[in-house]
Amino acid sequence: MRIGLDIELKDTPGQLVRALEPVSRLGGNIISIVHIREELTKKGRVPVHLTIDIENDGALERIIKELGERDIWVSKVGEVKKKERMKVILIGHVVDTDLRDTIDRLNEIPGILVADMALSMPNPQQETSALMDIEVSRPEKAKKAISELERIARDKGLAVIKSLGV
Amino acid sequence: MRINLIGFGVIGKGFARALVRKRTWLREKYGFQPEVVSISDVTGTVVSEGGLDLEKTLSSVERTGRVIDCPGAEEMTGLEAIREVDADLVVEVTPTNVDTGEPGLSHMLTAMEAGKHVVTSNKGPLALEFKRLTETAKKNGVHLKFEASAGGAMPLINLANEILSGDEILSIKGILNGTTNYILTRMTKEGTGFESTLREAQELGIAETDPTYDISGSDTAAKLVILTNAIMGKNTTYRDVKIEGINRITPEAIALAKEDGYVIKLVGTVENGELEVAPKLVPMNHPLNVDGTLNVATFQTDLAGEITIVGTGAGAMETNSAILSDILSIFRNSRG
Ligand SMILES: NC(=O)c1ccc[n+]([C@@H]2O[C@H](COP(=O)([O-])OP(=O)(O)OC[C@H]3O[C@@H](n4cnc5c(N)ncnc54)[C@H](OP(=O)(O)O)[C@@H]3O)[C@@H](O)[C@H]2O)c1
Repeated sequence: MRIGLDIELKDTPGQLVRALEPVSRLGGNIISIVHIREELTKKGRVPVHLTIDIENDGALERIIKELGERDIWVSKVGEVKKKERMKVILIGHVVDTDLRDTIDRLNEIPGILVADMALSMPNPQQETSALMDIEVSRPEKAKKAISELERIARDKGLAVIKSLGV
Repeated sequence: MRINLIGFGVIGKGFARALVRKRTWLREKYGFQPEVVSISDVTGTVVSEGGLDLEKTLSSVERTGRVIDCPGAEEMTGLEAIREVDADLVVEVTPTNVDTGEPGLSHMLTAMEAGKHVVTSNKGPLALEFKRLTETAKKNGVHLKFEASAGGAMPLINLANEILSGDEILSIKGILNGTTNYILTRMTKEGTGFESTLREAQELGIAETDPTYDISGSDTAAKLVILTNAIMGKNTTYRDVKIEGINRITPEAIALAKEDGYVIKLVGTVENGELEVAPKLVPMNHPLNVDGTLNVATFQTDLAGEITIVGTGAGAMETNSAILSDILSIFRNSRG
């Protein structure tokens, strides 16, 4: 599971390393660290946001306990829902049929975000192929995104290649 | 066991060759001595109550291309042969037609009404009138078997219904057409366009002169319907399938997919009661990623998890592996 941890460090050198050591030692895989030195808390501590992947609750509890023993305060712990990614390919006059509108129509659906796109255009007369990377907040949202894409594709004469499993 | 053979093209001739090749082996291993008592094509029928000399019939038809030119052949239709020539089982291997199911549909119904078992590789009748056919079999106390119709040599129906009979099959996903898989594989490996790759496949004899039935996804759809009905106990028809073919796939789309770790495959899926045939992005390390003319199918089952079978989906000898296995299972069952 993926965990978000808000911790508060003393404002002295070497504190971040001291905080990360038990995390890795107890099997946590550190995904990201956001460390803002300029923004001290009211108590004069440095807030840090950690995202880690960890096998089970037991390991998480031991990490929190060890952090406490090292005078590292844990102010918030929570599971982070992983975003699902879904790839789709569109073939046709993807750009000429108002690509902006295609993306907007998808982004209007709550929980759906077109996160990335790669285009390949052999020449202006021929059809364009586009690989879309769509972020969905929950797996059920993938079906919503697909049915909207299929509606758009019908309107605009595009072919849709979905991922296996949606 | 006495057999009426209806259809003497690639599969019909392959059946005769397989029997010639395995005659002794079948007798020694199973005590099975099949006799083909009639062979029909569009032009006519050859009959021999005591069993035809298959090698002679094969070489005669190879010379002229027509059954009617065989010594002693009559202008008897396949349907008449089924009605008039005494036999226990009909092997129905005439061309597939997904609009009417004919001539296969009439052949199969007539055979079963006459108390004859049917073994077939013909998809059309099953994809259109599955329920009517299976009910006719039941009513007349005969077997209707069609392993060869979906997946060629891959033993999908028997695997699901016999060997995995304690499992519920929750979904089926598969590449069920060798021609389209060949075309997409070549486009992926060579970076070539759809039209030129299709022409290459035609020159090699992998794609038919009229390739519409394969590339439009119709062939995959017919097979998907048969698998859905036979394995999941449904009553779907060809018209229930949402079908998309491969003719719009570009080399650029394949290249974009490849950069991201995917291949594009024409996949038939049945899941949550929905049947679909469409090109899909398949992760490169997925078991469905098989190349060339190979076919593959994955069952998701409630106990065994995922089971995947890879094999040859077509070809004279490969398809007859399934036909022969169906006949032998009927032979074993009817001996009690
Ligand atoms: N080829 C494969 O690898 C393969 C694999 C799996 C399943 N199948 C299925 O198996 C079936 C046979 O395929 P195939 O490749 O053998 O086809 P084919 O080579 O076209 O042969 C069809 C045969 O049926 C005969 N026929 C047509 N209408 C008839 C009628 N009304 N009465 C009697 N005979 C008739 C044809 O006679 P004429 O030659 O005189 O027209 C020909 O001998 C098809 O349904 C196909 O979808 C084929």
